[in-house]
Amino acid sequence: MRSAFPALPRDGCLGALQPRRCGSGSPLRPPPCCLPCARRRRRPPPCPTPTAALPAPCPPALSTEHRWRPTSRECPKHAALPECIHHPNAFEIQRQREARRKALARKRAEEQIQLRTPEPVEGREHVHVQTELYLEEISDRIIEVDVECQTDAFLDRPPTPFFVPAKTGRDVATQIEEGELFDFDIEVKPILEVLVGKTIEQALLEVMEEEELAKLLAHQRAYAELRNAELAEVQRLEEQDRRYREEKERCKQQQMEMLQKEKETMEKIAAQAFAKRYLTDLIPSVFNNLHESGFFYDPIERDIETEFLPWLMTEVEETLEKKTLGRVMLDSLIRTVTEKRLDVFSQKPLPDQVEAPAEEHRPTDNAPQVAAETEAADQAVTADEETDQPAAEDQASHHITFQSEEANQEAMEDSETD
Amino acid sequence: MASTLISAKLPPDVDPTKAPIAFGRRALPKLSREIQSPELLTQQRALMALCDLVHDPENVYQAVQIGFLENLKTLLLHHDSTVRQKTTEILYIMAMHNVGRQGLIQNAVIPVLTELLDDPEDICRKNTHQVLDMMAKLPEGAVDILHAGLIPLLVVRLKTESDEIQELILGTLSNCLRMEASEALATDAITILKEKLTHPSATIRNKAAQVILEIGTHPEGKSTVCEEVIPLLVSLLEDTDPEVQASAAGALMFATIKPKGRCLALRAEAIPRLLKLVAVENSKARLSAIKTLTMLAEVAEGRRKLLERTDIFQQCLRDPSEAVKRAAEIAIRVIRWKPF
Repeated sequence: MRSAFPALPRDGCLGALQPRRCGSGSPLRPPPCCLPCARRRRRPPPCPTPTAALPAPCPPALSTEHRWRPTSRECPKHAALPECIHHPNAFEIQRQREARRKALARKRAEEQIQLRTPEPVEGREHVHVQTELYLEEISDRIIEVDVECQTDAFLDRPPTPFFVPAKTGRDVATQIEEGELFDFDIEVKPILEVLVGKTIEQALLEVMEEEELAKLLAHQRAYAELRNAELAEVQRLEEQDRRYREEKERCKQQQMEMLQKEKETMEKIAAQAFAKRYLTDLIPSVFNNLHESGFFYDPIERDIETEFLPWLMTEVEETLEKKTLGRVMLDSLIRTVTEKRLDVFSQKPLPDQVEAPAEEHRPTDNAPQVAAETEAADQAVTADEETDQPAAEDQASHHITFQSEEANQEAMEDSETD
Repeated sequence: MASTLISAKLPPDVDPTKAPIAFGRRALPKLSREIQSPELLTQQRALMALCDLVHDPENVYQAVQIGFLENLKTLLLHHDSTVRQKTTEILYIMAMHNVGRQGLIQNAVIPVLTELLDDPEDICRKNTHQVLDMMAKLPEGAVDILHAGLIPLLVVRLKTESDEIQELILGTLSNCLRMEASEALATDAITILKEKLTHPSATIRNKAAQVILEIGTHPEGKSTVCEEVIPLLVSLLEDTDPEVQASAAGALMFATIKPKGRCLALRAEAIPRLLKLVAVENSKARLSAIKTLTMLAEVAEGRRKLLERTDIFQQCLRDPSEAVKRAAEIAIRVIRWKPF
C-alpha cells in the first residue's frame, strides 16, 4: 500500500524536513531517517530531470542525503515468509543503486553547471544578488510553518461488498434428504467383499501351504516306510545268504576234511600192508642172525661153558701147580739135604745116626702139619707162585716129610698121566 | 469403485513394521539394498517384508539368483535378536522349497548356522533347528550337515533343549543318520535315545524310535542296538500311540537281522505282540510287524511258534497295499521252510 508522500514545498528549497510523525504507521515501515540538510547558499538549480512525478517508485530528489527508504509494499503476511522478503530487498537494493547512480550523474552534471561560471576578474568579486523584481529576504531561517497532515491509521482495506447481481431467473428450491446420496450399507458391500475376500484368500493360501506340507510329509513317511521295509528285506536276505553261504562253506570244509581223512586212512592202510609184508621176512632173518651171532644160547651149555669149565681148568691148574710146587719143594729139599749131607760128610761122620731118628720122628709129627702145609702150599701156589721160595724155605726144615709127599705126588702123577 | 475381482497380487497392507515393497521385479533388489543399510530399523522392516514375500516360490528363486543368501549369512550373526530371528525364519521358509534348499547348500549356509545353535533366544534356536530339519530331508543337505560336524553337537543338545526343539533335533538326526551312523555312535547317542524312548510325549518316543531305526540300518549300529535297546523296543510295541508302535516295529525290524538280536527279541517275548500288531488293520505298523516276524522266523524256535499262526498271514494277503501282500507271502514262505 502506497503511503502518501507529503507534498514537497513548491519553492524547491528543500529544507530540513521534520520527520514526519506517523501516528500509527505500518509497523514495518521504518521511520524515514532525518538527515541534516546540507545548507546551500544558493539556490540549487532546478534539477534537470523532471521530478514532478511524485508517485514514482523512488523519490528522485536531488539531495541525495535524504535517502528514502522505499516503503515496503508488501503486506504483513508476506513478511512472515522468509522467501518473499528477499525479493523486495533485492528489488530495493536495485532501486537504491539506480537512485545512487542517478544521483551521482546529476551531481556531476551539477558540478559541470557550476563550473560554467567563470572566475571573477581581479578586484571584483562575485556577489550573489537578487535580480528579481521583488526583492526577497533571504535568510537562513526560513519561515516555516509546520503543517501536519496525517493519514488515518492503517486500516485494512474494507472488504469488497458482495457483488450481488440482480436477481434473474426463477427461484427453485431442492433438498437432499438423508440417505439419498449415500447409503452406507450399499456402498460398503463391495469394499467389505474385497476385504473379506482378500483376507480369506490369504488365509486359504496359508492353509493350503500347510496342507501341502502335511501331504508331502505323509507321502514322505509312506515312502520312508516302504523303503525301510525293502531295506530290511534286503538285509534279511543278505543275512540269510550269508548264513547259507557259511553253511555251505562249512559243509564243504567238512567234506574236504572227510576226504582228507579217508585218503590218509587209505594211505595208512597201504603203508601198513606194505610194512607188514616187508617185515615178515625181517623177523626170521633177524632171528637167524641173532642165532648165528650167538644171542640165543642154551643156558646150561652156557653155564657149563662159562663157569664150570674155567673152574675146572683153574682147579686143574692149581693141582698141576701144586704138583709142580711140590716137585720144586722137593727139589729144593733134596738140594738142601744133599748140601747138608755134603757138609756133614765133609765135616764128621758121627752125627748121622742122631739125625736119622730125629728125622724119623719128624715125619710122624709133621704128617698132619704137612697135610695142612700142602693145603696151604696149594693155596699159596694158586694165590702166588712167587711165594714158592719162601714156602720152600719154610718147609726147609720139614724136608723129610716131603718124602712121603713125593710118594703121594708120584702116585698122583701116575694117576694123571694115566 | 473397487471391484469384486480378486487379483493375483496380495492386498496392499499398511503394516508400519514392514518396509514398503517396490513393484514387480524391483521388490527384491530394493530389499536387498535396504538390508545392507547401517540403520537397524530399516533392516528390521526390510526383513519383515521379505519374510512375507518369500512364501512365493518364484520370489525364492529370484532371491537366490540375486545373491540374497550372502546378505542373510552376514545377518545371522547380527547383535540384534529380532534381526536374527527374522533371518532364521526367512531361511526356514526358503528351505521349504527345493530351490531354496539348493541355494542354501551352494552358499554354504549350514556352517554359519552352527554358531546359532547356542543362541540365547529360544525362537532363534527353534528356527535354526527347523532349517536343519528341512535341510536334512534332502540327501545332499544331510551330507552337508554331516560334513559340518553337527551330529555330536545335536546329540549333546538332545539332553538340554525343550520338547519342541527336541522333536526337531530327532527329526534331523533320523534323516542324517540314514547316511552314516559312526559319529553318533561315537558320542554315545544310544544311551540318550534310550531315555527318550520312555519320554512322556508320544511324538518324542516316535521320533526316537525312528532314529534308532536309522542307526540299525548300519552294521555297526546293529550290534549296539542289539545289546541295549531291544527289550525297550519290545515293550514299546504295546504303546498307546499307533505311530510309536509302528516306529518301534520298524526299529525291531532292523535290530533282528542279526542272529543275536533275534535271540534277544525272542527271549523278550516279541512274537505275541507283533502278532497282535499284524492282526490290526492299521497299515502303518502292519508292514513292519510282518517284516519283523519274517526275521524272527529264520530261527527254528520262531518258526515253531509261528507255524501255528499262519492264518494271520493269510489274512494279510488280502490287504489293499501291494507291499503288505508281498511281505505276507515272503513271511509264509520263510515260516514253512524246512532245512531238508
